[in-house]
Amino acid sequence: MNLSELQLDALTEVFNVGAGQAAANLSEIVGDEVRLSVPRIQFYDRTEINPGTLALADQRVGSVRQLFSGPFNLDASLLFKEERALEIVQEMIGSQVRVEDLVDFEQEAMCELGNIILNGCMSTIADVLQIELTSTLPEYTVAASDVVVGGLVSDMTQPVIMVLHIDLTIEKRQTHGYLVFLLSSGSLAELVVALDRFLGRI
Amino acid sequence: MTDPKTLLIVDDSRVSRMMIRSLVMAKRPHWTVIEASNGAEALQVVGQQQPDFCTMDINMPGLLGTDAAEQIAREHPSVRLALFSANIQESQKARASQIGVKFVAKPVSEKSVLEAVHFFEGAAS
Repeated sequence: MNLSELQLDALTEVFNVGAGQAAANLSEIVGDEVRLSVPRIQFYDRTEINPGTLALADQRVGSVRQLFSGPFNLDASLLFKEERALEIVQEMIGSQVRVEDLVDFEQEAMCELGNIILNGCMSTIADVLQIELTSTLPEYTVAASDVVVGGLVSDMTQPVIMVLHIDLTIEKRQTHGYLVFLLSSGSLAELVVALDRFLGRI
Repeated sequence: MTDPKTLLIVDDSRVSRMMIRSLVMAKRPHWTVIEASNGAEALQVVGQQQPDFCTMDINMPGLLGTDAAEQIAREHPSVRLALFSANIQESQKARASQIGVKFVAKPVSEKSVLEAVHFFEGAAS
């Protein structure tokens, strides 16, 4: 599917606003400034996606994944390097839990973190586009990057995939997180319909 | 309020510029609106056209909006500036306050644009 320059601009800006909300939520959780990169949207064939595409090669990765449904369906993931994920969990609940017990809380804490960030982002996008989106509960996975990325693109019904590259850098810890959104070609077409309505209101 | 004023909109997103322009023109049709798509271009336009007001995005390729705003505030203190950004963290609001400019949170909407317009006209801070 070919998007016009204006549609691509609108798509990037809408997700930029969503990521801004996500960064604000993350900043509040970790008590630190989160630097946002300039967002960049790229479309891939499902078979082209690999850890290198997402700058995650040769790492263990923590992934929080949520599916959003509405006028279009979207598969949203927040990805962190594994050791950084534990640091964030420590930041969230560390004062109440012994360091050696932190790993017991990792699953729950990362799901909550992902839920706050991904829902913050997608709720903002829904408001801007004047649509309603519902989400599944977040799922947290820790694995080698090729396993995590392989899982993300395993759905054969999503041949065309949109990746929004936005770095969320937690300033003092030099921790990077990535927001990745996957869509089927059918959902992309529906998203473009919502974007055109949004552009029509300007 | 029918004073002719010139507003410079700085944003790397054409859609954002279109939205701000459209909402401002609806409220203040007698204003002249000019645009720049990045911080460096904004510095050049301010030097050449001396706008009264400026809305500035923060996350743009090249020069950050906060840095461009700081330079404009220092070199052209008569320009009233509003940082208009999706990056709504406290750190960004603190930076805006430090530079002495208004912070307005995106998304671009009638409410957020009016917040900037009222600030420009001195009715709110």
